[in-house]
Amino acid sequence: MGLLGVYFRRTVTILRSEVLVLPSRIAVLVFIVALMALPLFTQDYYFLRVLILTSIFAIFAASWDLLSGFTGQMNFGHALFFGVAAYVTALLNLKLGLPPYFSIPLGAVGGVLTGLVVGIPCLRLKGSYLALTTLAFPIILTGLVFAIPDVTGGELGLAGLSRLTGSRVMDYYLTSGLMVILGFAMWKITDSKTGIILHAIREDELAVRTSGVNTTRYKLLAFCMSGFFAGVAGGLYAHFMRLAGPSGLEVGLSFQVIIWAVFGGMVTIYGPIAGVFILYPLMEVLRVALDSFPGLPEMRMFIFAALVLLTLLFMPEGLIPWVRDKVEIECPRCKVRNAFNRKRCRVCDAVLD
Amino acid sequence: MAQPFLEVSGLHKDFGGLTATNNVSFAMGRDEVLGLIGPNGAGKTTLVRLISGILRPDRGSIRFKGKNITRKKTWDIVNMGIASTFQNMRPFRRLPIIANVMVSCLSPRAMKRGEWVKKVEAKAMDALEFAGISDMALEKASTLSQGDLKRLEVARAVATEPELLLLDEPFGGLSPAETDLMAKSIARLHKGGRFGRLHSEGPAMIIIEHKLAQLMKIVDRIIVLDFGNIIADGTPEQIVENPEVIEAYLGEGEI
Repeated sequence: MGLLGVYFRRTVTILRSEVLVLPSRIAVLVFIVALMALPLFTQDYYFLRVLILTSIFAIFAASWDLLSGFTGQMNFGHALFFGVAAYVTALLNLKLGLPPYFSIPLGAVGGVLTGLVVGIPCLRLKGSYLALTTLAFPIILTGLVFAIPDVTGGELGLAGLSRLTGSRVMDYYLTSGLMVILGFAMWKITDSKTGIILHAIREDELAVRTSGVNTTRYKLLAFCMSGFFAGVAGGLYAHFMRLAGPSGLEVGLSFQVIIWAVFGGMVTIYGPIAGVFILYPLMEVLRVALDSFPGLPEMRMFIFAALVLLTLLFMPEGLIPWVRDKVEIECPRCKVRNAFNRKRCRVCDAVLD
Repeated sequence: MAQPFLEVSGLHKDFGGLTATNNVSFAMGRDEVLGLIGPNGAGKTTLVRLISGILRPDRGSIRFKGKNITRKKTWDIVNMGIASTFQNMRPFRRLPIIANVMVSCLSPRAMKRGEWVKKVEAKAMDALEFAGISDMALEKASTLSQGDLKRLEVARAVATEPELLLLDEPFGGLSPAETDLMAKSIARLHKGGRFGRLHSEGPAMIIIEHKLAQLMKIVDRIIVLDFGNIIADGTPEQIVENPEVIEAYLGEGEI
């Protein structure tokens, strides 16, 4: 009981001093609580399905931000990690009968190895050359998928994987819980010493090398970490949809993830997650809303594109950094962020403008 | 005979049809401060970049403390004890100044030599303190003035605790007062000692500079390059009186 009391007091202290002092952190807390409490109010099959897919794609989008946003390795073929992990997971499940809690981590290991395979030839490339090379990989693999239909299932893919869990609500808790945990892990990576080096590589790789840091190692690490997280998303997707097919390698999916990340705000981790949570359900809402009007459902991509373009026109850094800058101000002296209504800094007591 | 500290032999580098360094050979001792001067395009920066591993030579070799470092990776060379600064400063603009220096502090050499330092930030702060910009540690590097960026370059190089420091125009773009301050910092660094949690080995230095009056005060020896060739090598007094150097670079009159 005594130990529980200590942990409880510590949690309350962290909540009061670290979380409840900043609007953005309060928003994250409210978001997580709402996400966890949602099945208490509705267990609508379709609604939960949309949110499960949203959580899976949120992990995927954040993993893109880790590689392309933070490390500056512009990846236009991120679906490769997702697709490879989905296939690996499916093969392990179907051929060896491994349950999801084995096949998904092993699928993510497939994502890591894919990260190495892509990362090594891309080490010397930068900018548009890197982007185009990464774009080529999933296209090559799609060709391979069609070339060996006995293993990959060809056009139809591999169907009939075992279910993620026994029920839709459990599926929901697993995916949303993993999204929160992995999102936090990615954010911690970017906030660590490794994160500083990844940041610096994006800014000026040559200067990092002349600082004595082996940039090759760190770039490969970024590819592997991103491959791992995207791989978890791919494995979850395969088990949830009970299918791994060539659609997981599509160019469209690679571009979709860039749109989500850029819309939400790159180089933040939480920005791409928020981007998916806004844009993915929005597409579903548009589909349902426009369904009753003949000819209009095809317009949803147009509306979607217009919305994204308008947002980026007025918020070039993405939606979430824009909102964050409205509700929080940086202390001119100690650079700590404060709620917009504070007159003095919460750490150094400097006057806030 | 003892091995020279740094030995460059027959170093040759072409860029297309242009010869940047032409069979350059020289050696320097552990405690020397060497000035590298010459007209623009003489091959000074190329020579320094060849030593620091940023460029690969077409021919020739570089030996540091008896070890061949000719085709080693830049980071391996830094971790062996050779640090360099850039003529055109290359800060990580969107990172705070302290994070700029922390990258150097996270190199294997700096981590190994400072393993008793609990926090990397503390060591980075001492490097900034040495360079005289610790009061701006939390500002973004993009907000720094030209002079402070030069100081940041020096802080980044010093943070790896080098034994040989290659400075490419450390006084470039600085006001006379800032130049004096920088010259004092360099002299102090060469003396060696402890600056907080940072240890200076009293590195040997190769300094490229056009401000000759200040350079002459801190160097023991000067090498003059012209069109990729060494045209003179001697003490500052010998160099200013060398007719070939006067014709190619210095001209007549006071320095």
